[in-house]
Amino acid sequence: MSKSILALCRRPPYGDALAREGLEAVLAAAAMEQAPVLLFMHDGVFQLLKDQNAKSIEQKSVRRNLEALSIFGIDKLYVCQHSLEKRNLNCGQLRLPGIAIELIADPGRFIAAFDSVLSF
Amino acid sequence: MKFTLVIFSAPHSAEGAASALRFARALLASGHNLYRVFFYGDGVHNASALEAPPQDESHIVAGWQALQQQHQLDLVVCIAAAQRRGLLSASEAERLGKPAANLAAGFELAGLGQLVDAVVYSDRLVTFGD
Amino acid sequence: MTLHIVSKSPGYSNALMDCADSFVEGDILLLIEDGVYALSSLPENIPVQAVHYLKADVNARGIVVTMEYQGIDDTRWVELCCQQNPVVSWFK
Repeated sequence: MSKSILALCRRPPYGDALAREGLEAVLAAAAMEQAPVLLFMHDGVFQLLKDQNAKSIEQKSVRRNLEALSIFGIDKLYVCQHSLEKRNLNCGQLRLPGIAIELIADPGRFIAAFDSVLSF
Repeated sequence: MKFTLVIFSAPHSAEGAASALRFARALLASGHNLYRVFFYGDGVHNASALEAPPQDESHIVAGWQALQQQHQLDLVVCIAAAQRRGLLSASEAERLGKPAANLAAGFELAGLGQLVDAVVYSDRLVTFGD
Repeated sequence: MTLHIVSKSPGYSNALMDCADSFVEGDILLLIEDGVYALSSLPENIPVQAVHYLKADVNARGIVVTMEYQGIDDTRWVELCCQQNPVVSWFK
């Protein structure tokens, strides 16, 4: 039995525990061959910024969880274009090795296509 | 229809936990099936046996327990999220060398696989935020 | 089509605006908890007939609803979840 699952990630990486716990749930699903599609919106796009140094606040890097996605065959992430533009960010600032980033201009149609949506 | 609820809200800190309990009661009263309730993030506090709210306030932990008894619900608390926040079963407390256990009766600790399973086997997934 | 559930006031979080950005024709919006404070200032792209709110949350807060939005109870909330899919919660 397979379902299309969307993980909607809207939290910044360190100020909110749900960013990390959301990614842990995503990795658990991927390990069970139920890999969700990830859409980053709102402050969730900050999870993808390169050059994070979480050690300076004595936390584990959220990017390590993100980089682990490719091990489970997730090679593409989706990012809300409007959220990115609102934060004066561009795709070049969000690089993840081995993972492509695709911008979504119409998140509504994108979300509506899934069977289940997990909000993190 | 088969529902699964995911709860991120701790009782007595945000309204989400109370809303989830009301929603669970309503869906069961309508004859639907509640496949699983998965407590994640701060939602793990819904399973604390040590909660002691004043008598004139709603007791959400007891609310879940009553519903569990009545409908044999599967109330699953994420074990990783629970350990981080100090919510332990007797066996976990012993294994981790902690002085006390506080997982309320009717709830069980399990891994994130239970969330994944619930997403796959339910018709509807409803998330209650913090 | 999607059922969007918003549970925070627009003054507290961007939940409602993110929901509005993701709202397409045929979707339904349900305001619960502090989300009901948005009833006085909803985004223009959400049609009036798509807007639902939990009567219990409105009554609890003493809010007066002046538009023709649909006030519902918990049973109807369950029905909306059956009728629409996916169900997307917007909080924080």
